[in-house]
Amino acid sequence: MAIWGLWVINKAGGLVYQRNFGGDGLPRLTANEYLTLAGTLHGIHAITSRLSPTGPSSGAQVISGETFKLTILLTATGTKFVLITSLVEPTADSVLQKVYEAYADTVMKNPFHIPEMPIQSEGFDTRIAALLGS
Amino acid sequence: MTIFSLYIYDRHCNCVYYQDWHRTKRPKVAVEGGLLPGVSAAVYPRAEEPASDNVNNPNSARNTLASASGVLIAVNEDMPRTPLPTQSQFTQPHTNSTGLSFDEEAKLVYGVVLSLRNLIKKLSGRDEQFVHYRTSTYKLHLYETLSGYKFVMLSDPNVDSLRFVLRQIYSGPFLEYVVRNPLITMDSREQGIDNEYFRTSTDRMVKSLTVFE
Repeated sequence: MAIWGLWVINKAGGLVYQRNFGGDGLPRLTANEYLTLAGTLHGIHAITSRLSPTGPSSGAQVISGETFKLTILLTATGTKFVLITSLVEPTADSVLQKVYEAYADTVMKNPFHIPEMPIQSEGFDTRIAALLGS
Repeated sequence: MTIFSLYIYDRHCNCVYYQDWHRTKRPKVAVEGGLLPGVSAAVYPRAEEPASDNVNNPNSARNTLASASGVLIAVNEDMPRTPLPTQSQFTQPHTNSTGLSFDEEAKLVYGVVLSLRNLIKKLSGRDEQFVHYRTSTYKLHLYETLSGYKFVMLSDPNVDSLRFVLRQIYSGPFLEYVVRNPLITMDSREQGIDNEYFRTSTDRMVKSLTVFE
């Protein structure tokens, strides 16, 4: 039961927000490594929806390793929210919905925010910190 | 709850085996040269049927192996004969096709599996394995052996991890009928591992699962 990371990926596959939580979960990587991983995830997500054996499918929603999982929320505008948690984290989906809400309130309604560009908003940071801890 | 398909890849990225069960959307047959021979009889373009049946032709070289001799040979032909009903849906008009040819699909599956494997390794910072991913309509499971064979299974999204099943296929039919089969050249890069025994026993194993329905 732990949340280790949050990514926001724009519709072109660029990582626009990345934050780690909880010190002892996963190793910290460099900013460049996170950018690469987010790009890879974006590509995989597109391919997974084409591999369906039974008709139209969404892209990957949950990706699991042996000790952690990535829960992915794809919004109607193509922005992806990715939450990295421990395997047993039943609240991942609802947390992502709340993150989306915070994003809509503090990023999309911010007149100084340029769409598809990295999120530099103190309001968003505080909302996320309140939601997920620091 | 069901199982859709099984892919096996060797360590050279080649698809060496394929089998499917309840697929409603099928890939088109493989493009010539895009896939090794001996992967699955169902995914190759149909060869033109010879005018006369070989078995009834007294001049055929095959005739020496007719039922009178009582010899059963498990040689891998390019298109192995299989005791299972052939997946004749492949020959139907592709109204319910995925739009991809089988060799393309096999490469995409491998690409996804390999990328996810690297992603998980990178994120965890150690040698952690990718286990499965889930979409709205299916779930993909991976089991990788020490020798680099990758067993990939697609199932219904609601089933639990099927890793143990893939492991069972490896330790049961795969070891028995592929690794210990002198007629199968492993790691050849030229030939898949399809043979009657492996196909039937895998089929039996998967159909006996509680999640298979």
